[in-house]
Amino acid sequence: MPQTPHDDTDDASQPPEAADATDGDRVTDEDPVDSAALLGSDLELGYGDTTVVDCEDIVVPEGEVTALVGPNGSGKSTLLKGFSAELDPDAGTVLLDGEDVQTREPKQLARELGLLAQENDAPGGLTVGDLVAHGRYPHRGFLDPLDADDEAHVDRAIDLAGVDHLRDTPISELSGGQKQLAFVAMALAQDTDVLLLDEPTTYLDLHHQLRVMEVVRTLNEDRDVTVCVVLHDLQQAARFADYLVALDDGGVYDWGPPEDVVTETLLANVFGVDAAVTYDDEPRIVPRRPLD
Amino acid sequence: MSRQFRVRDALLPEVDRALALTMVASTVAVLLGALVQIRYGGYQMPFETVWRALFDRAVWTSPRILATILLGDGLAQTLGVFRDTSVLTDATAVVWTMRLPRVAVAAFVGMNLAVAGAIFQAITRNELASPYILGVSSGAGFAVVVTIVFSLGTYLLPLAAAVGGTGAFLLVYAVAWRGGTTPVRLVLAGVVVGTIFNSLQTGVFYFIDSNGAMRTAVSWLAGSLTGVGWTDVRLVIVPTLLVVPASLVAARQLDVLLLGERRARSLGMRVETMRFALSALAILATAAAVAVAGLVGFVGLVVPHAVRTAVGSDYRKLLTGCLFAGPALVVVADVVARLGLGGTQVPVGVVTGLVGGPYFLLLLRRTESFNEF
Repeated sequence: MPQTPHDDTDDASQPPEAADATDGDRVTDEDPVDSAALLGSDLELGYGDTTVVDCEDIVVPEGEVTALVGPNGSGKSTLLKGFSAELDPDAGTVLLDGEDVQTREPKQLARELGLLAQENDAPGGLTVGDLVAHGRYPHRGFLDPLDADDEAHVDRAIDLAGVDHLRDTPISELSGGQKQLAFVAMALAQDTDVLLLDEPTTYLDLHHQLRVMEVVRTLNEDRDVTVCVVLHDLQQAARFADYLVALDDGGVYDWGPPEDVVTETLLANVFGVDAAVTYDDEPRIVPRRPLD
Repeated sequence: MSRQFRVRDALLPEVDRALALTMVASTVAVLLGALVQIRYGGYQMPFETVWRALFDRAVWTSPRILATILLGDGLAQTLGVFRDTSVLTDATAVVWTMRLPRVAVAAFVGMNLAVAGAIFQAITRNELASPYILGVSSGAGFAVVVTIVFSLGTYLLPLAAAVGGTGAFLLVYAVAWRGGTTPVRLVLAGVVVGTIFNSLQTGVFYFIDSNGAMRTAVSWLAGSLTGVGWTDVRLVIVPTLLVVPASLVAARQLDVLLLGERRARSLGMRVETMRFALSALAILATAAAVAVAGLVGFVGLVVPHAVRTAVGSDYRKLLTGCLFAGPALVVVADVVARLGLGGTQVPVGVVTGLVGGPYFLLLLRRTESFNEF
């Protein structure tokens, strides 16, 4: 039998907002607000007059891998844009290490918080090495050349992302997966404590999906980098993340460790899918049919 | 010592084979073009005389004469270095006061347009962008035609061109601005402002009543180097001395900007500020060229494009290549414009247009896709 730990709270007849993450019953012992690398409070984010994200508290715990999941249009990417100060919140604040992301000087922010987008583009002739070196941008002054410290970070990033053999290859000659690894390396060269990734695996083949997620995992374990990643694939999210934030219609539907969040109820209520969820040694989600 | 290294790191590119070849080939083209330009024309002389005039002791051993030639009578007198240049032989006078400055102006015009084009191609992330894409040409053209129609004085033309161009650029920015800009918005605003100014310009054109004024206007709009002298060199050299090092320093910013706006921002660049500053730099380069030569077309489009195919998209290399290839194209084109039809000179912009058209035709035939930058 699949476990459904939140059957009691998540009644299918209730509107999803009723099951809010701030209930506190399923949150870990630590106060999430204290251990938060990123903390959004009373956030309203949107484009023009339309509000896309409207949530009370959202926490990305320090030193953990947090995945944002949710169906299309649930506000995952918008939330990430709010975190990275790309989007000014209409209301509320985003705190990074206790300080508002909006008030930081852009380069200062880029030294603390990295962002990797879903699709990346680079001019044809640029080599992987050149690209990764651009990751040092926030650490260099206007006239500063690449110094030894920068070189070391570039080497380390290239090594960590496993693109050593591609160092002198132009980006235009890489496959989609290799390209994404090159951009991962660039984000690593930025040497930030927090890394945001916006659907980093969406267009990749299986091998490169796993490669990218492995690099992210290593980065988190070895260097204690806080990761917040938007993932489309719920099963992948459940496998790789320490915490999941399930978004539904711009609000937080549920928050917690994967086995608490990914349930058949979640799939039914948020994703509109009838599915079987099992946790033997690995989370396994078997979707059966869409619900109306 | 360490300071020198810093300057070198900040300004100079790694010269690889492709870049070296571009630089050498362009330099050869400039020198050959210059020799032909100096040798031929209304006042004929054999190459030997050209040589003797170029290295005339009367010029080189007298700093005052050299200064008077380069600075002009007025400025030389003010600075107290004036010496009457009528002592020079005819050949030397022709070479030094008429033909040499024309080559120099052509070189500077090419340099500025090529650099401006390269910068605009990065800002708009479009390899077919030209220095005139943000309305500069139409603004400058309108201002020039107005100056001519109202007989405000031809000496005001460079100023009018620069002011008109800059005004149009600022207008484009104002039109495109909505809590920020995007490359597409900028380009579209450029089209809007360009269309309006072109209509106005055509309207004002109607009021030109003399043939001479008409010809002046046309040669400005087509881009011409007829009758330029050291005054024009002095006019164009000041902004050039600012634009060249500034653009080389900014090369890394252009590279990062090319990675896309979102990425540039996530790397900590103030994208909006940087884009405006770089546009302003490119506008300065464009205005410098337009002020002395009028609207020479295609140079700012063809040169960066051709150099990119040779040296790649690293902006420090690309800009360095442009600094050499731009002058090569304009100097050679001006040789054709001045001497090609025998007696009659055509505007140099006509020639660059005739070169630029087929270049893109060739490209259209050869290239499969235009998406890759």
